[in-house]
Amino acid sequence: MNLRIHAARVIARRKTLETVLNPGFYIAQTAGLLLGYILITGFTGAIDSSGFSFELNPVYDFVGRAMVGAFGRTFVDKLFSEGPFLLALYISFLPSFFYLSINSVFRFSFEKKVGAIELISYGPADGTSCFLASYVKDILLTLLTIAILFIYFAVAAFNNNIVLGSRFLYSVPLILFTSSALYAYGILAAVATDNAVSAISLYMGIVIFFLIILMGTFSIVSGYVSTLSGVFTRIAGWLSPLFYWNLSLTGVESGKAGFFITGIVILSVLTGIVLFASHLIVGVKGVRK
Amino acid sequence: MIKTRGLVKKYGSFTAVDGVDLNIPTGEIYGLLGPNGAGKTSTIMMLLGIVKPTRGDIFLFGEPYNPKRLDLRKRIGVVPENHPHGMWSWMTAYEYLEMFAELFEVKDKERRIEKLLSQVRLSEVINKKIGEFSRGMLQKLSFVRALLHDPDILFLDEPISGLDPLGIKQIRDLILEENREGRTIFISSHLLSEMEKICHRVAIISRGRLMAEDRMESLLNNLSRERKILIDLESIPSELPDEVKRLSYVLDCRGDGNTLVITVPREGDYRKGLSEFLIKKNLIPLSIKEQMVSLEEAFVTITKENVEMLAAMGESR
Repeated sequence: MNLRIHAARVIARRKTLETVLNPGFYIAQTAGLLLGYILITGFTGAIDSSGFSFELNPVYDFVGRAMVGAFGRTFVDKLFSEGPFLLALYISFLPSFFYLSINSVFRFSFEKKVGAIELISYGPADGTSCFLASYVKDILLTLLTIAILFIYFAVAAFNNNIVLGSRFLYSVPLILFTSSALYAYGILAAVATDNAVSAISLYMGIVIFFLIILMGTFSIVSGYVSTLSGVFTRIAGWLSPLFYWNLSLTGVESGKAGFFITGIVILSVLTGIVLFASHLIVGVKGVRK
Repeated sequence: MIKTRGLVKKYGSFTAVDGVDLNIPTGEIYGLLGPNGAGKTSTIMMLLGIVKPTRGDIFLFGEPYNPKRLDLRKRIGVVPENHPHGMWSWMTAYEYLEMFAELFEVKDKERRIEKLLSQVRLSEVINKKIGEFSRGMLQKLSFVRALLHDPDILFLDEPISGLDPLGIKQIRDLILEENREGRTIFISSHLLSEMEKICHRVAIISRGRLMAEDRMESLLNNLSRERKILIDLESIPSELPDEVKRLSYVLDCRGDGNTLVITVPREGDYRKGLSEFLIKKNLIPLSIKEQMVSLEEAFVTITKENVEMLAAMGESR
């Protein structure tokens, strides 16, 4: 086996174990499940004779108004057309996603600073092995998180006699590919900067940048945000995993499987490109603290 | 085993290593001495492939060293000066060593770990968390980690720094034992008295340049301008040191108990003349010993006084 891959596998196993031994991981999981619970119970309370209306439930009213403001009424109506699970899946996933990604960015920067990566690199490993290990750990724990959420929502759907919906089912793999591309950007931020604070700031900047681009793809935004988003989209829209996530989801809504698959393929290619860029940066910058 | 040719490392306009040539054969314990900022660490980092040389060539195991060849790193063991053990403080000693054993694809890792831990007397703490280890225990653990994969070359950066006398002895014994098994050992240290006990050959680096490199004995001979002759007598009359000082070749003389400590120039043999002088005074020399300058003294000479002279020596080598 390639020594770099072998090293990544060995380190990933330890990193995964370290993360699952950390209470933070369980706090993030619990927060996600709690949010899911609130959204599902709120949904059942927001149904009247005319069907679902988010204004009927205080939680949904708050979430719905915020989302209508950001993405438009059409988007929100589509979001709830198959029940609460699509929104609940994404919202419930966010705590774990941010925990895993920010933790990885912080850990990589910190490990570089204290010389842990240098120590590992004295052996048959290098900086690339270390960040690949971090990436593999994130993917494994994301799979675990998605599995937990899927089981949780499947049980909730069964108990409340609501279907999960096709968009929910398509979103399960989509969420994995989208988050994996965002994890790759986290690695890029960690290897490109010299300390943990800069790395996390850069990563959050990248995520916010992608969110602004996404908001720009919905026509309701206007004024400064719209102009900014338009400029960002023209310059770097193709770099955003959220752009391809939206492409895939649009494909599912319109019944065009090609769009969905194209989005997934591009997300995979984008992940590969970002990881390769990280590899080149580590090669140039080295692993010395 | 280790060879460099014209090794240069520049950081901007600052030259950290300036044309270092090393040639370390298999099985040698080689010491690199130098004050802080002399270029020791940069040299080691280049040899390990962690830092890229600005110029020059490195040959390891008889072939040009390519840091991208990870397989070559399996033949190298490293004990760095500072260990980021805080990163793995949640692991037990066994789990920590197991991770590195897997990284190096060590066969029969369980037995190897137990054997090495027993060698450094850490068997009893095999299941203790690293976070609870003392500095000395961590240093020994780092040694075990570096030896897990049975490397051909061992790089040690300040291996005994911060250890208590017992810990120093254990590590010294371990180094000598590993060397007896044929391992080439490259040590960087400022604990000169220990280097003296361990190294076959030492090099002194200052401002990025190798000022001197020789076998320990020759280096000490070359570095000292003077040497001491110790003569044991039954007793030392109070006026004797002053009388000895009047001899033309004596630089200094003092009594230390029943031992006459006489400082003479490095060149020449003065033992016969001193014996005759003492016998004329009806004093019988019980023993005559010559004392070399210690490496510690030589090092002070190098860094404070004789840099130019050594540079000239280095150029004439």
